[in-house]
Amino acid sequence: MEEPTGTLRYEKIDFLGEGQFATVYKARDVKSDKIVAVKKIKIGSRMEAEDGINRTALREIKLLQELQHINLIGLLDVFGQKSNVSLVFDFMDTDLEIIVKDSNIVLTPANVKAYMIMTLKGLEYLHQNWILHRDLKPNNLLINREGILKIGDFGLAKAFGSPTRINTHQVVTRWYRSPELLFGAKQYGTGVDMWAVGCILAELLLRVPFLPGETDLDQLSRIFQVFGTPTEETWPGMKSLSDYVQYKHFPAQQLRHIFSAASDDLLQLLDSLLSLYPPRRCDCTQALQMPYFSNKPPPSMGPKLPMPTNLFKMEIEKPSLKRKLLDNIEGGSVAKKLLQF
Amino acid sequence: MDDQACPRCKTTKYRNPSLKLMVNICGHALCESCVDLLFLKGSGSCPECNVPLRRSNFRVQLFEDSMVEKEIDIRKRVLKDFNKKEEDFATLREYNDYLEEIETIIFNLVNNIDIVGTNKRIEQYKKDNKEVIMKNKAKIGREEFELEEILEIEKQMEELRRAEILKMEEEAKKQKIREKEALIDELMFAEGDAKDILNTFAQTVANKQEDIVPVLPKVTQFSTGVKFTRGSGQQPVPVIEEGPLYRYEPPESPDRCGPDPPSIEEICNNGYLQHVRAENETEKAAGYSSTLPCLRALQDALSGLYHAS
Repeated sequence: MEEPTGTLRYEKIDFLGEGQFATVYKARDVKSDKIVAVKKIKIGSRMEAEDGINRTALREIKLLQELQHINLIGLLDVFGQKSNVSLVFDFMDTDLEIIVKDSNIVLTPANVKAYMIMTLKGLEYLHQNWILHRDLKPNNLLINREGILKIGDFGLAKAFGSPTRINTHQVVTRWYRSPELLFGAKQYGTGVDMWAVGCILAELLLRVPFLPGETDLDQLSRIFQVFGTPTEETWPGMKSLSDYVQYKHFPAQQLRHIFSAASDDLLQLLDSLLSLYPPRRCDCTQALQMPYFSNKPPPSMGPKLPMPTNLFKMEIEKPSLKRKLLDNIEGGSVAKKLLQF
Repeated sequence: MDDQACPRCKTTKYRNPSLKLMVNICGHALCESCVDLLFLKGSGSCPECNVPLRRSNFRVQLFEDSMVEKEIDIRKRVLKDFNKKEEDFATLREYNDYLEEIETIIFNLVNNIDIVGTNKRIEQYKKDNKEVIMKNKAKIGREEFELEEILEIEKQMEELRRAEILKMEEEAKKQKIREKEALIDELMFAEGDAKDILNTFAQTVANKQEDIVPVLPKVTQFSTGVKFTRGSGQQPVPVIEEGPLYRYEPPESPDRCGPDPPSIEEICNNGYLQHVRAENETEKAAGYSSTLPCLRALQDALSGLYHAS
């Protein structure tokens, strides 16, 4: 008996959202009777289409095909129909941005720890396989109703560790962009992802974005206002970075004053993730081995994690226009963040 | 207070009822006009003890005993640096000792006992506790700022309430005039008995008054910072559930089908790095390290060596 493939295999249930490069639908996999998210890549008269397939989609297909980890979004299938390409992903109910913004949710220290563990484990696997995510932010950390966090959106992900290849520094949403990227670094390491993780952790504690810069220059000055303007001693070679600009001297603030409710072991992790000098930033393995994770309270894993209250109610409703418009700015793969609607 | 007198010009409160005595940090009083006269240039020395003083530091004497004034000044100055709080100490005993020490220092300074030694003690303390002092200063500043903000909000609310009440009163006045006019009109043109009309009007006015209940805006926070909300508005406190503590487990290394590549330490120590281009200053500043491509190349080279088809 022939198995259903392609469009026949997936029954469209609901429209979830539309991004710049793709439209996302909630669908049922006829073969396994599982709910999935189908991301249909738009191929229009776009300039990029001249190169063949859209670049972000290509990255996702190329990388995710070979990656298997509980904390990474799973690419289940790729199929084509006429000139269209569709990607089939795990269906995710919500994301960390929605949880952070939901004022009805109380995030306990145990919850924060659980989110950090899942993020870092996924990222550790990614880095171990020589891939940088380069777009970590709360709304790319997807969460399903079992309370499993998966890193999504590999549209900017890229292999690293090549001695010659030059990378662009125009990656990562600005608020989560590390200082070396803002200074125009073209050769970088896992530090760019670690900085973003630090910003996400800070956001989990503060419940508002930690460093919401309005421009790239403003982003740097916000960073320095908190951590102090680096000097040639604290960040050797900083002045040789291509976009280096001299900043006014700001004194460093104590993280303890900004995160007054945070425990000492948490501040230690935060301080390590958010070191200005990239080589001093910890990597995922070092981070996971810090006392913060093994100390009390134990992480609240799985179903103990909070879920947005309106998760199940919202399923019938259409995605809000505002969120749709916001996501449009960021690109196609972002659209699957609408999955919870 | 009537026998208050300026020690310099001997003017008394009796002769000059508007006499204002001022004190400075030394605790010696002067009347306002003497201060104006002596400190024309902004600074000078106390006529009684020759301590150099600034004019801007003069303030109105609140207490009859100028020693109290002096103590207030000294206390203010000392507490600026001795700003530790109870939570900065491990035990209550230590905190009490610390408070005792402050009192000793203030007493010494007020009564001119071992001034040099005491000042040295303060300097030493400042040096030892520089960080804590700075921290607490910032904290106090923040708290004051927040308090000010709350006070400001309360003031605004108060003003709003006053405006509301004024508006209501005006409205009531207008209403009364209108009612009066209506009554007169009614009496002039209606056919019925004047007494009945008066009665019905009195009734409606009474009814209306019952309706008007001033609605005051709700305040949600006292200036002491305590919020008063009803229980229903509070979020449920999540129950802390105990679970197993986290223990790090390294991720399973992929089956490379070949000999194990060297670890990062081995790469750094065993001379592997001599064969790859070292990172330059810019690359290092950006978080790039030549160990990365070295490890990656070794992994790539060794994987799949045992593969048999």
